[in-house]
Amino acid sequence: MTTFTVPFDPEKPDLTDDTWTQNEIFLQVFNSGNGEFFDSLYREDSISNFSGEPLTGEARLKFFKEFLATKPKLEAKVTFAYTAGDVALIGVDYAIDGVNAAGEPFHLEGVCTDVLVKVEDGRWLMAIDRPVARGGLVA
Amino acid sequence: MSQLTNEVEKHTDLYVEAFNRGDADAVNAFYTDEAVAVWEPGKPLTGQARKDSVKEFLAFGPKMTAKVRQSFVTGDTALLIVDWVIDTVDADGEPEQLKGVGVDVLRLGEDGNWRYAIDDPYGQAE
Repeated sequence: MTTFTVPFDPEKPDLTDDTWTQNEIFLQVFNSGNGEFFDSLYREDSISNFSGEPLTGEARLKFFKEFLATKPKLEAKVTFAYTAGDVALIGVDYAIDGVNAAGEPFHLEGVCTDVLVKVEDGRWLMAIDRPVARGGLVA
Repeated sequence: MSQLTNEVEKHTDLYVEAFNRGDADAVNAFYTDEAVAVWEPGKPLTGQARKDSVKEFLAFGPKMTAKVRQSFVTGDTALLIVDWVIDTVDADGEPEQLKGVGVDVLRLGEDGNWRYAIDDPYGQAE
């Protein structure tokens, strides 16, 4: 089991309204390599563009499981954050180092725009992510 | 409210129309009460300061064109990536062109209309 350095309930993930905490949880859950776990940071109908195309629901979960299975390492630094009531826009510089299916190392970096929303029970979850990688590769 | 729309794709067109008419009240009606606007990079405005800024800016008679590059709509939340150009005049009355790639977050209100929650016109570098 992954150990978290921030208060975090795996049964009821909450990215919170705090920018630093959001980024820490996002990083640690991503780096756990558990796609199902990572997917729980998103609402059912949330859109992830990590794969290079907008995915929701089952398709998104399937991609996260495959993508995280080889435990790529994500680093991210928040560059801006704006909160307007129950929605937030976050910008990060990110870098991902991993190994592809053929066993070859890959490196991706770029900027990502994230939209977070406060859901009915008061938790904050991912609504939309939109990574734009430098050099054309997406993720 | 009749000037607002429940189709997020048309939201930008209607906004541009109100903007180019110079109608500050109409433009401000396109935002949620808690909306954040970052018309000057690094300087987010909310509430009355945001509304006043629209009035001041429109006094110069700016004209905008905008084209939605990408839109992601999920339930009551949308992210739009928008290429925009504004022709206006600077404080000395000299013509000035502003442009950027905007990153806009919209929320769907209970009345079925989309409104800007976060308006970050320089949100993307290219």
